[in-house]
Formats: sequence, structure tokens, C-alpha cells
Amino acid sequence: MELFKTPNIKFLKYKYIALAITLAIILAGVLNITAFKGLKLGVDFGEGTLLRIMLKSPSTEGEIRDLLEMVGLGKSQVQKSGTTGREFQIRALQSAGDQASEEEQLEAHEALADRIIDAIRGDDGAAERARGLVDLNTIDERSLTSLLENAFPGSGPEAAAAIIAYRNLSGIVTGFEDLDGLGLKPETRSFLQEKTYLGKMTVLSRETVGPQVGADLRRKAVQATVWSLLGMLVYIALRFKLEYGVAAIFTLAQDVLITMSVFSFTNREINLPIIAGVLTIVGFSTNDTIVIFDRVRENLKTMRGKALEDVMNISLNQTLSRTIITSGTVFLTVGALFLFGGEVINDFAFLMLVGTLEGVYSTIYLSCPVVLFWQRWFKPKKGGRR
Amino acid sequence: MKKNLQWKVVLALAVIGLAIFLAYPYDDTKIKRGLDLKGGIHLVLQVVTDDSLDIETDQEIARLEELLKKNSITFEKVLKEGLGQIAVQGTLADQESKTRDLFDEYLRDWNYTSSAGRAHLSLKPLVAQFLRDQAVVQAKETIANRIDTYGVAEPVVQRQGDDQIVVELPGVDDPDRVKELIKVTAVLEWKLVKAGPVPDEATLLEPYGGQVPEDAEVLKGDPKRGQGGFYLIDKVAVVTGRDLRTIRRTTDEWNKPAVSFTLNADGGARFEQVTGANIGKQIAIILDDKVQSAPVVEDRISRAQGGIIRGQFTPEDAEDLVVVLKAGALPAGIKYLEERTIGPALGSDSVRQGFLAGLVAIVAVMTFMVFFYRLSGLNAVVALVLNVVILFGALAYFKAALTLPGIAGIILAIGMSVDANVLIFERIKEEVALGKGIMSSISQGFSRAFTAIFDSNLTTIIAAIFLFQFGTGPIRGYAVTLTISLAANLFTAVFISHLLFDLLVKKSAKKLSI
Repeated sequence: MELFKTPNIKFLKYKYIALAITLAIILAGVLNITAFKGLKLGVDFGEGTLLRIMLKSPSTEGEIRDLLEMVGLGKSQVQKSGTTGREFQIRALQSAGDQASEEEQLEAHEALADRIIDAIRGDDGAAERARGLVDLNTIDERSLTSLLENAFPGSGPEAAAAIIAYRNLSGIVTGFEDLDGLGLKPETRSFLQEKTYLGKMTVLSRETVGPQVGADLRRKAVQATVWSLLGMLVYIALRFKLEYGVAAIFTLAQDVLITMSVFSFTNREINLPIIAGVLTIVGFSTNDTIVIFDRVRENLKTMRGKALEDVMNISLNQTLSRTIITSGTVFLTVGALFLFGGEVINDFAFLMLVGTLEGVYSTIYLSCPVVLFWQRWFKPKKGGRR
Repeated sequence: MKKNLQWKVVLALAVIGLAIFLAYPYDDTKIKRGLDLKGGIHLVLQVVTDDSLDIETDQEIARLEELLKKNSITFEKVLKEGLGQIAVQGTLADQESKTRDLFDEYLRDWNYTSSAGRAHLSLKPLVAQFLRDQAVVQAKETIANRIDTYGVAEPVVQRQGDDQIVVELPGVDDPDRVKELIKVTAVLEWKLVKAGPVPDEATLLEPYGGQVPEDAEVLKGDPKRGQGGFYLIDKVAVVTGRDLRTIRRTTDEWNKPAVSFTLNADGGARFEQVTGANIGKQIAIILDDKVQSAPVVEDRISRAQGGIIRGQFTPEDAEDLVVVLKAGALPAGIKYLEERTIGPALGSDSVRQGFLAGLVAIVAVMTFMVFFYRLSGLNAVVALVLNVVILFGALAYFKAALTLPGIAGIILAIGMSVDANVLIFERIKEEVALGKGIMSSISQGFSRAFTAIFDSNLTTIIAAIFLFQFGTGPIRGYAVTLTISLAANLFTAVFISHLLFDLLVKKSAKKLSI
């Protein structure tokens, strides 16, 4: 099967338009990052706390924000995740001031997380707790085991394990009837109904990184980025001629800048997986560049007398179906990740979606033109390839 | 079959067999799930190593005072001037050489300068470094002991850098309790009470003219134990946690949770003597400078008898106290630098979603390849499946933990690994279009596409290596899965794919299903 019957698209005819578009995006992005919205650094880099919670009954972002506003935490970002309307992601930002020590800051974040949890929980369960009941939705397995073991010697661990396993699967127990399918003895169930209550929320995860580790991770992220970019550059420079290496630098820079700009525009946070994603895109885009340069190099040997721009156009066309097919398969897989991979990995998948397209674009409309310009400016006479 | 084909078949089967052997049957023990998939607690803590220098300085001052007195060297005061900095004031000029000799003999860990009327000692930098290092090593061991005693399966307690310790506790679902368990210094002391408890410090010190007597200190009751108020307490401990022989959770005569203990010979003797001499007085049980309870001594407590610690404990508190006392005290305080708690529900959710996404991705890619390249596409599908098989075998072999970014790496690699096949197939098509024979087109396609495949896989691996070098847990998982599958890709998409063509395409074939 053929994707194209001998395509003959004059890609490089549009290089100026493409360069203008690229520049516009990057300028807007850089402006947005430096002057307006900025890049949002995530929890990994020492900025606040990230809470993921699950509620017993569906709610809305607005309702939760209202609850937080009542205790003066209205600045926290609340985001629904999943489709059930019961899962939310809350990002609390608070600076304890520069004077505060490392630990105070971390504790301030932790305390903030506690306040958020308390605010959302409200007075839910207060009456039950006063009567000595425990929350079945937050109790740990150890305590539940000893509670059940005290009442029903011999069957505590098994019953507790079944209940916890169910809770792990569903996230939260919405009603005691949920427990019916677990094979609990009737007396165990009625005991639970008597001695426990179902709290309105459970904390799925909470993450806080103190400023010291945050700075550390930031440094490592920068190091990882710089070193891998350098590594790729050196490799390309060794494998190809200098101008290809230079073109690769520009391409890498574009890949990083455009993806960062998109992240800035879409208000997404930069965390460690995002750094990993950017580097993967750079690697992926470099793949593209290499494949095309490889072909250009090969064609230059056989097509003597043709202008470099034409050779490039021919090479781009020859590799076009490969470019589209492989970007297509990667796009398919990251698309699956974006749609089905869940909230935690969503930003990463989004980045990869954008990056896959951008990587192809940068190869065609940045790598090739740069080599072309280089040849025009620095080697005007050699071989007459203009 | 040609001879070199035979060898290739053997090699291919051996590698695949090995991978299956390593990863099958697939379960949690073969490939560990990272904390982000399993749920658990990830903590980074810092040992306040200054504490250990502080303690060393205090101890040295006490030793020095004794030493000077014993050698009848006149001095006014021994002062602490900072961490590892001691000043001896009011010495006599004619005793200077004697003092120097003494320092030379007994204070080898200290540098000193002396001038008229004064000597200054500072802890040697190498010794200070050693003490700091020891504090971290001991803290690590103590924390590991505590976690073991508490009972966590497969904990990780690792040193990181100079003074940090990383603690990873898979499957733990009561973070607050564990954090407290790790953090308490757990210095337990029994000390005689001079006065108290009273609600404020001023009343406490009234009989002493508002000054804290030199041999005493003011301590607060632990509010968690229902102890309010202030106590005036002897500075010197009767016995400490180090004198404990056994320690056990128990209940007191009112069936409330409590902790019972017995003392070793030395401590027991002291305890017997002190309780005998102080009947009717209070003796305070102090944990980390907070009074847990201050019972009245009713009788002499014999050395074999031991005793019981009461303090309005919850069952968990009593249990945890036993844990920390058994594991011993921390040599220095600790601070939390990073805390991540992933609930088991979120982890299993991530696994489910990652699995689904992976399945959709692999089916989509396979469908596309077969649809687009027909039988040759089937060849690529075989290569893809083998790639995943080898990946899991390698993960099991390297004992690498599977993380959520790691799963993303696998999914991404599925998309990227067919890149090699596509490059080759497109090249073969071109060769066929140029009118070359099928067999030579195949072999040309493979050899011409190889440099591009090698280069492109290598550039991504370069990025992955640095990600591994500088990344933390989950990111390392990503770097590992990506690197392995790209390396395996060279084997499956190039070697095995080529082999399949060689085996299955007839020499006389006129057309290739591609």
C-alpha cells in the first residue's frame, strides 16, 4: 500500500512563511513566559502542595472552591479529574515568607494541606466521632484489623483485608450496601454499621516538596536537560557536518521553546515527567532530523549538479511517508495515553501529543532551512550549489 | 536452511526464551511496582548533624572540667562558644605547659590555642566530619530498625548525599503515624522531680528566687499524655533508655494501654538505690524532654522488678513507644524535606488506566501496521510483541521498578519501535520500485535503513541515560523502560524482522506483500 504516489511537494518554498510562524509562536510564548503568565512550576520543584481527593457523592469545582473560600483558602486551584465528578485535584500555594526556615516552609505547606482537608470535610462526621465511631473511609488496615479482631476474634484480618481491598479498588465506600458483595458475615456488617461511619472524603494522594529538595530537583532537571542536549549535539556533529550540528541546535531550541510556550498558554504545570517528556520529544525530533539529513547526504552523492534546496525537497518527499507513518504511530500511542492513561499522566501525554507534531514540523521547517542558509552564507561558491 | 540462518534462529529463540523465562509467570515479585503504582509513602529527611556536634561539645565540656579538676589545674569556667568550640577561662600562666600536656594527651580530637589566662579548643574538622557522618549512618540504622519493628514489607531506607535519608514505605496507609514514628528522637529518661506540676513557670521558680537552680531544669508536661504544666526536674537522669533490658506493651491495672520495662544490672541497681532513697517523691518519665508522667515513688523498686510507664496512651501510642524504644534513640534530630503519600486507590487506578492505554496503543499500532503493510506488517507486529516480551524480561532481570512514567515510556516505545520497521519497509518499497529483485530489495532495505535506525535510537537513548543519571524514582523508571525497549528494538525490528523475511519469503518470489 502506498501513502503517496511519488509525492513532489515543494516544502522549502514556504520556508519563510514557516519561519515567520515559528518565530511568532516562540516570541508570543517567550513574552507570555517572561512578562505575563510565566511557567507554572509544579510540586516537584518545591511549589506548594498537591492534593488528590475523592468524595463520597459528586460535587463541583465551584462548591469545593466555596468551601475553601470560607476559610480564606480561595486561592487554591481546584480541578475536577476523571468523569465521576467525585475526584478533585487541589493545588495549594503558600509561601511562608523568605525568613521561614526550610522545615517551617514544608510544615506550612503540610499544615495548609491539613486545613484544606478540614475545610472540605467541614463538620462531617463530628457527631459520629463524638460517639466514638471511626471513619471507615480513612481508617488504616492495621487499625481496622484490630477493631474487627477485638469484636470477632479469628476473622478480623480477613474481613479487614476484604474491606480495604474493596476500598482500594473503588477509592471510597459510598454506602454500607457496597460491602454486601464482599462475603462479610452479617454480624460483621452490622457491627461496622454500628461502630463506623462513612466519611465524605478520602485523600488519594498528597505531595509536598520542601524548597531545598525542590531546588535540588530543579538543578537536576536543568542538568539532565543540558547534558542530554549536549550529548545529542555532539553525536550529530560527529556523524554529520558542522552545519547539520548547528541546524540541530536550532531545532532542539525550537522544540523546547515551543513546547514550553504551549505549556505556558495552556496553564499546565511543569513537573519532572514533563522534563522527561521534553527530552523525549527532542530525541524524537532529532530522529526525524537524522533520517532526513541521512537521506540528503545520500542524495547529494548521486544528484550532482542539483541545487541543495531541490535535493532537500526531494529528500523530504522521499522520506515523507516514513515521517507521516512513524509520527502517526507515535501519535496513536500517545493519543491512547492521553485519552485513557488517567489524570496523573495527562500533562505528560498532552506534551507528547503536541511534541510529536511539533517535532516533525521543526525538522522540515527549521533543520533544513538552517543548513540551506548556512550554505548560502558561508560557502557561496563551493560547487555552485545555491 | 542455510547454516548461518540456523545460528540466527537459535540466537533469536535463545533471547526470547530467556526473556520469557525471566518474566514468566508475571507477578509482583518479578517486576516490582514503584510507589506511585503501589501506593505508599516517600519521604526525604535531613539529619540535623549539628546536633551531634552539639552533644559532643557538651560531653567534652563535662569531661574537660573533670579532667582539669583531677589534675588540679586552676580555671574559672569552661564555656561553650559554639559547635565544637570550647573556651577555658581563668587559667594560670604558670600552669600553661601542664595544661598543654593534658590537652595533648587526652584531647586528641581537638585543636587548641592557649594564651595567658585562656585556652580555646576547637574540634578538628576531620573529626567533626566523622561525627556528622556517623550521625547520619546511625540515624539511618535507627530509622531502619524502627520501621522493621513496626512492620513494613520491603521498606527502602537509603542515604542520599551528605545528610539526607530517603525512606520509601510501600503499601503503608497511615502516613501521619509513621512520620511521627520516624521523627521522634526517643530519648527516654527517668529523673527526680524537684517541684511541679504547676501551671506556669513563675510559680514554679518562686521558692528559688525566680532562678532555675544550677542542677535542675524546667520541663513541660506532654499535652498528648494529658500532662499540662511545668516541672522543675533534676538535670541528672537516674536511668535512661540505654539502661532498658526489655520493653513490652502491656495494660495497667485499670486495663489501660501502658508500657512495661525491665532494666539491665547497672541501671537496675541505680534505680533501686534512687527509688529506695526517695520514697514519697515524684520521679518523672521523660521522652524527648517532655514529661510523660510523674508517678510518686511508693516503694523501693528492686533491680529485677522493673516497672510500668503509664501516660494515658492510646493503644497505638503505646505500641509506637515500644517500637522507638526498642530501636533506640536517634543521634540527632531530623527534618522532613519532602513528603509524598500515594494512596493505594490512586496507585491501582493508575495501573488500570496505564494498562488500558497500553492495550489501546498496541492494538492501534498493530492494526495500522497490518492494514498498511499486509504480511510484512505482520512481521512488524511479531517484532513489536517480541520487543515488549524482551522489555519485561529485562525489567525482571534488572529488578527495575515499574512506575507510571515507566508505563508511559513503554507505551511511547511501542509507537517508536515500529519506526525502524517503517524505515526498512519504505526503503524496501523504493528498492522494489527501482526494479530490483525481491530478495536483494529486502537485504538492501535493511542495510540502507540501518544507519538511520541506529542513529535515531541512539539519540533518544542518550537523553534517557542523562534522565536516569539525574532523575528520581519515577523518572528513572521512564528512562529505564525507554532505553531497554529502544535497545531491544534494534534486535527485534532489525535482526528478527530480517530473519523472518529470510525464512518466510521464497527465493523465487516475484511479489512481496508490503
